[in-house]
Amino acid sequence: MAVGLMGGWIPSWPKFALGSLFPHFFFAQLKYRGGEWDPNPLFAEAIVEELELRTSIDARKARRVMQLSDRDLFFCPFLYMAGRYEFEPFTQQEREVLRRFLTYGGFLFAEDTVGAKGFGFDQAFRREMRAVLPGYELKRLSSEHSVYQSFYLIGSFGGRQRVNPYLEGITIDNWTPVIYSQNDLSGAWSRDRFGKWLHACVPGGEPQRKAAFKMGINIIVYSLTSDYKRDVIHHPFIKRRQNL
Amino acid sequence: MNVNPITIAPVFPLWLIMLLFCLALAQAAAQCVKSWTKLGPGRALVISLLRFTAIVVVVIFALNPSVVTRKEHRISPAIAIIVDTSKSMGQSVAGGKASRLGEAKALLMEGGSSLIESLSKKYEVHVYGLADSLRPLEFGDVARLQAAGRKGDVSAALRAISDRNSVAVLLSDGNVKWNESQAQQLPVVSVPFGDPETYQDILIKGISAPSIAFRDREVTIDVTLKNYGYTDLTLPVLLKDSGRLLSAKNIRVQTNPGESSVAFSFVPSEVGQKNLSVSIPQQVGERIVDNNQVNLSIKVVRDKTRILMVSGNPSMNYRFMRTALKSDPSIDLLSFVILRTPSDILNVRSYEQSLIPFPVKTLFLTELTNFDLLIFDNFNYALYLRPEHLESIRRFVEDGGSFAMVGGPNLFDEGRYGLSPIGDILPVRFVESEFYRRDPSVRVRLSPAGAKHPILRFGGEYREGDAGPDLLWREMSPLDGVNLMEAKKSATVLLETAQGITWPILTVSEKGKGRVLALTTDYAWKWYMGMVASGKGNQLYLMFVHRMVRWLTKDPSLDLVQMILPETTASTGQETDVRIRFQDGVPSRISDAAVSFSVFNPEGVKIDSKLKPSPQPGEYIVSFLPQNGGIFRIKVETPVGQLEESMVVAGPLEGLDAGPAHDRLQKISTSTGGKYMPRKDELTKQIEQYAQKAEKQFVEEKRVPLWATAFVMAVVLALLSSEWYLRRRWGLI
Repeated sequence: MAVGLMGGWIPSWPKFALGSLFPHFFFAQLKYRGGEWDPNPLFAEAIVEELELRTSIDARKARRVMQLSDRDLFFCPFLYMAGRYEFEPFTQQEREVLRRFLTYGGFLFAEDTVGAKGFGFDQAFRREMRAVLPGYELKRLSSEHSVYQSFYLIGSFGGRQRVNPYLEGITIDNWTPVIYSQNDLSGAWSRDRFGKWLHACVPGGEPQRKAAFKMGINIIVYSLTSDYKRDVIHHPFIKRRQNL
Repeated sequence: MNVNPITIAPVFPLWLIMLLFCLALAQAAAQCVKSWTKLGPGRALVISLLRFTAIVVVVIFALNPSVVTRKEHRISPAIAIIVDTSKSMGQSVAGGKASRLGEAKALLMEGGSSLIESLSKKYEVHVYGLADSLRPLEFGDVARLQAAGRKGDVSAALRAISDRNSVAVLLSDGNVKWNESQAQQLPVVSVPFGDPETYQDILIKGISAPSIAFRDREVTIDVTLKNYGYTDLTLPVLLKDSGRLLSAKNIRVQTNPGESSVAFSFVPSEVGQKNLSVSIPQQVGERIVDNNQVNLSIKVVRDKTRILMVSGNPSMNYRFMRTALKSDPSIDLLSFVILRTPSDILNVRSYEQSLIPFPVKTLFLTELTNFDLLIFDNFNYALYLRPEHLESIRRFVEDGGSFAMVGGPNLFDEGRYGLSPIGDILPVRFVESEFYRRDPSVRVRLSPAGAKHPILRFGGEYREGDAGPDLLWREMSPLDGVNLMEAKKSATVLLETAQGITWPILTVSEKGKGRVLALTTDYAWKWYMGMVASGKGNQLYLMFVHRMVRWLTKDPSLDLVQMILPETTASTGQETDVRIRFQDGVPSRISDAAVSFSVFNPEGVKIDSKLKPSPQPGEYIVSFLPQNGGIFRIKVETPVGQLEESMVVAGPLEGLDAGPAHDRLQKISTSTGGKYMPRKDELTKQIEQYAQKAEKQFVEEKRVPLWATAFVMAVVLALLSSEWYLRRRWGLI
């Protein structure tokens, strides 16, 4: 709560959101057929405020809703996808578009907000990933992955719920274009217009929410910097701090 | 002449002939008995005799008798005289009156009993000159021979002449190539010239050095010296770079003759052509001085292009540019992204975040010169860099580094860059109160200069679709943000906005020895994803970034004009060809008059050169004749660019090892079954002995048939006709 509110009081670096079509960062949420594509409609504001407060990233709070058939999809390099239930399979054309998007530099962060392994959204999402990127599979991202070091050094895993103490992802060469969570990070970020959190974080309470914000920022920074933290000059610093 | 007995060569098997003969004889006997009672004994015998005679004639014909005559012939052997005309034969002999070649010519031609005259009386004599190749000579050519070529290959020469000659005479100082495994069965009588006992010289015999070296990596040059006539001597060996002493080492000369080695190591710090020389001082009594120095040229290239990139914040522009830079294995990228500005609030203790200090002092004051290219990507310098850092960047560029400024709202920090040392080197300047604009999005187009510039002339590398380069850029995704800048007069705009007021988007210029570039947008990444969205690959964007880097760092692969030097070191007095090649994308028709070449000798004087046709399109050949050794400069000027390279031409006596190698001559004679002949008074006699051994003879055999076919047929017919006539007359028919 405090984290979110502080964002309004502290002057941050001037932003140029104006009427820009594609600012440096914004959430482009994927709308799909079947299931429930928008389980946490109020998630974006708090995490973007936090992003602006803590980092130098130029971001916009308003999210854009995209479908795989939208022409602008390729100009929304951070694609967000969430859901609770099983959804209809993508068409072959949609799969081809998503494959091209992910193969050539796009990024997808997906969330199963229920956290039911092997059921509902989880089952459907894994099915689609197998079809979109055959030969690649969602794997647990090791603790050495750049996403855990891109801004914060992640020590604990937050979210509205704590289903997995890890993120999963599909890695192609040194880049992970798909990151998947079942901890409902967006549920932990969601708040109403009066600043009240919409969901309690269980079982860890507010520290778990704080960890969810940290993870959210790390995922966003990773999407904009790739494996930059693996560069030789950064790695020794990070290892030294992790060993403290 | 011997006449051998008549020989037979039966046309049928002998048993068949005998069988037929017996049958015919029996038939003639039976006929005789039968006609005996009718005609009486006299007439019966006549008829039978005629038949018998005809049979005998046929049998003799079948036996094919002939007379064989044999005649013996003797062949006088041919003698090959091989005169070594390599450069070492030009050395004077002890006393300095004549050269080794002069002595050899005197032996061949002078005096009443010259070698050629003596031998040609009895034998066929062939004379050859041997240096770079084996040349047949007329007797009259011998007097005009000059010592001018490189070491000749005796093995190859003997192979070439062994079928026409029976013995070879080699006149040489022993400085020849000899491969014993290829020895021929042609005896070589070798005649030595020069005196190993009195010969004195120290030379640089060999240098082992790479033709290409990498900047900041140690280069080793191995030098081998050879000495004749000196012992217990300490010699300084000097390594110089364009006349400036780079290193010196002492070497101890102990044995005579002997070889010594020394190795030099140095680390080249600058990219480009290095003209080096290795030399030793002249010694008292030294016969050749020109072989005391060897020039060599090493091309220093960068192993990797080292780039320092500072990005003002995490952005798509950073990520896609990083992707492009990382996709080139020749690029070594060190990047810093400002993840948090001083105004951003950190909510955790420092050890819980991954941010590292931005080492500005180290990067911009100490280590900057170790990079080839510095990129500021939407970076607000005012928060981090002090004037001395900016001054250091300016010096870095003016001294040959390169600098790229990628746009964004932070780029020019509301114009403050313009007043800084960086503003001095940038190709653009701030002109409006509004320095950055995001709306409306705008497309770009190629400027006339951009269409010709190496960065944007993808040429044969990119041929997706049929779109011309201008249409290609017009169809690129529009940019959502541009910096409103004005190009300086000294700059060249390559890309500009295509709508509304024209603003430069990609501008380049040169500053001092370095190059600078301004890409005044933070939305170039949309070109990448726009191409992907339209179903094409990301190659165009990757090439765009790679070519920007290559142009900025003066990578020769992007030069429109390239010079290809000879693979082997050129030599004095030999026509030397240098190829000039135009890169793909240069207008195919550049008139010859528009291309000018200049060749300068080591003294800096322009020398004659000529243009020769090349079978390769877009290629010229410059040909020149170096008259002396040293570093030559070749300068090419064309409408699309100019280029200057230097090359080493070996001097006439550079590396010449003229020490008499009589032991090699002994080896040649021994392995071919010939004789080493230091005493010339018995030379003619010795050669004649070998020639007599090689004399050959053969027997000519002639076969004359005794029976002609038509004659035999006529005899047989006459006998049988007579028999028929008598039979008819005597009433048997």
